[in-house]
Amino acid sequence: MDVDFFVQQLVNGLTLGSVYALIALGYSMVYGILKLLNFAHGEVYMFGAFIGYFVLSALGGASSPSIPVAPLLVIMFLAAMLGAGLLGVVIERYAYRPLRNAPRIAPLISAIGVSFFLQASALLLFTAQFRTYDTPQLIPIDTTGRIDAGPLHISLTRILVIVSTIGLMIALTLLVSRTRLGKAMRAVSYDREAAAMMGIDPDKVIVATFFIGSALAGAAGVMFGLVFERVFHLMGFTAGLKGFTAAVIGGIGNIPGAMLGGLIIGLAESFSTGYISSTFQNLIVFGILIVILLVRPTGLLGSPVLKKV
Amino acid sequence: MKTPRFWLLLALVAVLAVGAAACGGDDDEDDGAAAPETTGGGDTGGEAVDCTASIGIMGPFTGDVAAIGQEQLNWAKFAVDTFNEERGTSFELVEGDTQLDPAQASVVAPQFVDNDAIVAVVGPAGSQEVDAVGGIYSDASMAFISGSATATNLTEDYETFYRVVPTDADQGPTVATYMVEELGAQNVFIIDDQSSYSTGLADSATAALEDGGATVSRESVSQDQTDFSSLVSAVADDTDVIFLPWQVAANAQLFGNQLAEQGKDVPIFGSDGLFSPDDFKVAGSYVSSFAPDITGLDDPAIQDMVAAFEDEYGDFGTFGPPTFAATTVVMEAATAVCEGGEEPTREAVLEQMDQTDLPDSILGQPISFTENGDINDATFFIFQVQDDGSYQLVE
Amino acid sequence: MSRIGSDDWVEQQELRSEYYTGFTGPARKAFDRVGPGPRFFAFLAICAIFPFFPTVADSDFLIRVGVNVLLFALLALGLNIVVGWAGLLDLGYVAFYGFGAYMYAWLSSSQFDVHLPTELVIPIVITASAGLGLLLGLPSWRLVGDYLAITTLFFAQIFVELMLNLDRLTPPWRDEPLDVTGGPNGIPGIDDMRIFTIDFEQTRDYYFLLLAIFAVVVVGLYYINESRTGRGWRASREDPLAAELMTTPVNRLKLLAFAMGAAVAGLTGSVFAAVQTGVFPQNFEVALLIMIYAALILGGAGSISGAVLGAIIIAAVPEILRTPENARYLFYGVLIASLLIVVRPWKRVAGIVAAAIVFGFAAHEIVALIWPDVVVGVEDGGLGGLLDSWVLVVDDHETLVNFAFVFLVAAVLILTQLRGESRMLLLIPTIYLAAFVWENRLVAEPSVTRQLLFGAILVAMMTKRPQGLLGTPRVENPI
Repeated sequence: MDVDFFVQQLVNGLTLGSVYALIALGYSMVYGILKLLNFAHGEVYMFGAFIGYFVLSALGGASSPSIPVAPLLVIMFLAAMLGAGLLGVVIERYAYRPLRNAPRIAPLISAIGVSFFLQASALLLFTAQFRTYDTPQLIPIDTTGRIDAGPLHISLTRILVIVSTIGLMIALTLLVSRTRLGKAMRAVSYDREAAAMMGIDPDKVIVATFFIGSALAGAAGVMFGLVFERVFHLMGFTAGLKGFTAAVIGGIGNIPGAMLGGLIIGLAESFSTGYISSTFQNLIVFGILIVILLVRPTGLLGSPVLKKV
Repeated sequence: MKTPRFWLLLALVAVLAVGAAACGGDDDEDDGAAAPETTGGGDTGGEAVDCTASIGIMGPFTGDVAAIGQEQLNWAKFAVDTFNEERGTSFELVEGDTQLDPAQASVVAPQFVDNDAIVAVVGPAGSQEVDAVGGIYSDASMAFISGSATATNLTEDYETFYRVVPTDADQGPTVATYMVEELGAQNVFIIDDQSSYSTGLADSATAALEDGGATVSRESVSQDQTDFSSLVSAVADDTDVIFLPWQVAANAQLFGNQLAEQGKDVPIFGSDGLFSPDDFKVAGSYVSSFAPDITGLDDPAIQDMVAAFEDEYGDFGTFGPPTFAATTVVMEAATAVCEGGEEPTREAVLEQMDQTDLPDSILGQPISFTENGDINDATFFIFQVQDDGSYQLVE
Repeated sequence: MSRIGSDDWVEQQELRSEYYTGFTGPARKAFDRVGPGPRFFAFLAICAIFPFFPTVADSDFLIRVGVNVLLFALLALGLNIVVGWAGLLDLGYVAFYGFGAYMYAWLSSSQFDVHLPTELVIPIVITASAGLGLLLGLPSWRLVGDYLAITTLFFAQIFVELMLNLDRLTPPWRDEPLDVTGGPNGIPGIDDMRIFTIDFEQTRDYYFLLLAIFAVVVVGLYYINESRTGRGWRASREDPLAAELMTTPVNRLKLLAFAMGAAVAGLTGSVFAAVQTGVFPQNFEVALLIMIYAALILGGAGSISGAVLGAIIIAAVPEILRTPENARYLFYGVLIASLLIVVRPWKRVAGIVAAAIVFGFAAHEIVALIWPDVVVGVEDGGLGGLLDSWVLVVDDHETLVNFAFVFLVAAVLILTQLRGESRMLLLIPTIYLAAFVWENRLVAEPSVTRQLLFGAILVAMMTKRPQGLLGTPRVENPI
């Protein structure tokens, strides 16, 4: 029982961690480039989840989709990623760009303002009703839709989420390390002025970063909807907080760190619930995180900040 | 330089518009149907009465539990519209959003007290809010009646407080007895959601279950928890029943799905917070409710009302109809005062509410109050969810 | 980011000379001319009207709002010490507030049946909160900036979790669970305060108590800021390394800032507990923290008068929004005011408003002709009556209003990009659209509106005036 229980919790943790990791990636990318904590990121994720929901409803809903499941999922993902990306770009343009040279706290507060505004807009436009993706209708959770290995049960949806997260992360890593855009992103994050002098337009790079980060958040939203089904206007707040935490734990500004941080938080939540107690799950996770930060103040994979005197 | 931005914005607007259209679409089938032409449950069918008053309503219209608050608000609006149309009265609702926060409630309450037009208040929704505002309303002789505050001590502590729902102390033993006797449960796993409703009910149920000889293990989750799969994995194999006294039915549905996903074949027993045929449909589970399912009641008047409500406002769960009943109680009391030829003042309405005796209501039972303000003859009904998602009364 | 090869100062010359023209120009000039010292005393003079508030506003509701404003002001002042003066990003501030409240509840209620006299409880609360502040300030020695922010945020979350769950833990020396915090039900039935034979029972009494505390705190903080400690804080905020080299004990100052902020918050918390006659865990959640931050930033971090002004705005505006008539006045007032600020020659503003009015009447007539059953009048009297034939109020067309909202947001965003003629032209239908969305949706849902306006104000403030209303502009050391 023990090994299987462990593996089951491992799978649970990985699924949760994947969603957090995707959100954390967005935070980390934006921070790396702008040194800005984008508090509105959680709301972008929420809008992504809603866009996925509306696409699903428009195409017939979970119980009677008008096109087969696989292309339906692809369309949902693409629509959410596109929509979320655009939203992120608009936010950057109007709420952060004017504050490039302001004291650090100004864009932070602006981000909080945007977050509040988006939450209220979602409440206004979509009402407070919970929407569900109703995934079991789409991808059944009985024996046809899952993998049973003894007492282990892993549903296809979870496998889908974990696999697509890995895929997206690989794509992102390739983008950052192999393409010109990735090189430009790294350059701008090291030294914006020098990059500008080398002929890179920092504004365009920043827009691209925001687009990609927000698109990842949109994908995370759809994944969340698929696995955990509930979509409502407040989901961005908690998920944003956890994603932000994940990014900081892994070393903010650091892309592999964000992935690691997300996984750590997911696994910590899962294992503390399974082995200790669900009641104190949050307390335990926070405690672990505080200890990590105190031991390594710049995050697990973060590099110490050098201060020029 | 303007062009790319312009197209960008247009694209964003297009995407948001798709969203707005899709969601707007499933909200209003607008025929403008506001009220049915039938006699609703509980009225005495009198001629038009000239009665003007304002009724305050306090609830969590925004915030974490906005879904519950909006449902309560919609049912209250529906009640006022229907009543005004049938009886010719001119009652108005005054909203006060509390976000289920006692601090905000204690600002809304004095505001209502100051507003001379308000004769009684429906709400607040949470037991803690009642604690925060009870003194204020009692001092002002303002009757306030809640459709969802279930902490047992409230009616005792505050003179002018009424409620149309039974207390935690009633529900706990009922569900415990059913579990032990009908389901033969020996090991019960109770998970509460850290709200005061939930923990109160869980405690009451635990005590009753242990009295009946069952072993109880307890856990708790938070209402905004996203994932229960770890907890589900930790459910012991010898658990007979899982009791979920939660407020958010959608969470319970998720829990049930994850139970099935991990192949655990344990039935869920939900409290009245889970009573929501649209949100909670896990086949084979049980749900308790303080009223027979109003969508399953035989009374055609009530069915017409339900249909009219759904036409205008959409789906609803369990928190709405009690607010409808509460609002109706207030309006009936005020109308009785008017019919007696007097002005509906707070004291008069308060006195009248003591004497409330409605033979019928949307809750499917008559409404009258005990000395404290609790509803008389509160019984609980237990339903089982069928394979097609419908609820079947079993006790 | 400035272009390479161009000079910031030269570029902003035009902005600077434009800044003091227009309708609000003379006001801005006078304002910026006054130094911080006289500004503070002017602020004190204005504060002198506070004690007369209860006599003017007779209703219990308004006094309660006044109490809330004072509570907020005290919290903003305490946060100002940590964030504004010492420059530490403390996102766990609300935990001190809660700690003070719960501590008062533990010592003056039936929870443990301890009913200490208030003269004893208040110093205990202050000391204990300061101690907690010291404890929480310790991580600031190792963590900087955003990392400190998130650690303190964790502490705030841990606090709420503890308060929610410490009613069912069974300590090893007992058989039964020990109910420390009352769990989700909180601790109701807290004693009233009683200081030196003065009983505080009514809201009005607490108003004056808070006013007294407020006066003491403001004067005390002012003098602390003017002293070496204040200078030390400013130095360690701007450049900790340089300050350390100049023998400023940066670490100790950080702890002091945390402790003082916590003490103020704890004291405020205890009075809050007495006013509400109960404490509940959801009183102290992150949403409140964001409001306090917003109040501080809006008013101007680092400035006492700024903190108070921000608190007044943030605490009072939601109450105005609760009644539709008042909300209407507020909305149209803010609309006109923002037009005046944004559009410079005020004759142009008059022209735009006139054009918008004409446009509105025309639109109303046209729509009423084509789809007569769609249009419904505005209900309430007062301002509503005036607007009746101007604004289009439609019945039962939620989708349309949703679209209108989205278009309104897009239009406002586009407006910030335009200059000159096109801007004037677009302003007219935008104003009408704003009124349309307001009357049809927002005025009926004050809580959502509050959040919307709140978020929009934060963004607008930060992009236009990052130092807040009364703060001084700062330039950060580039990293």
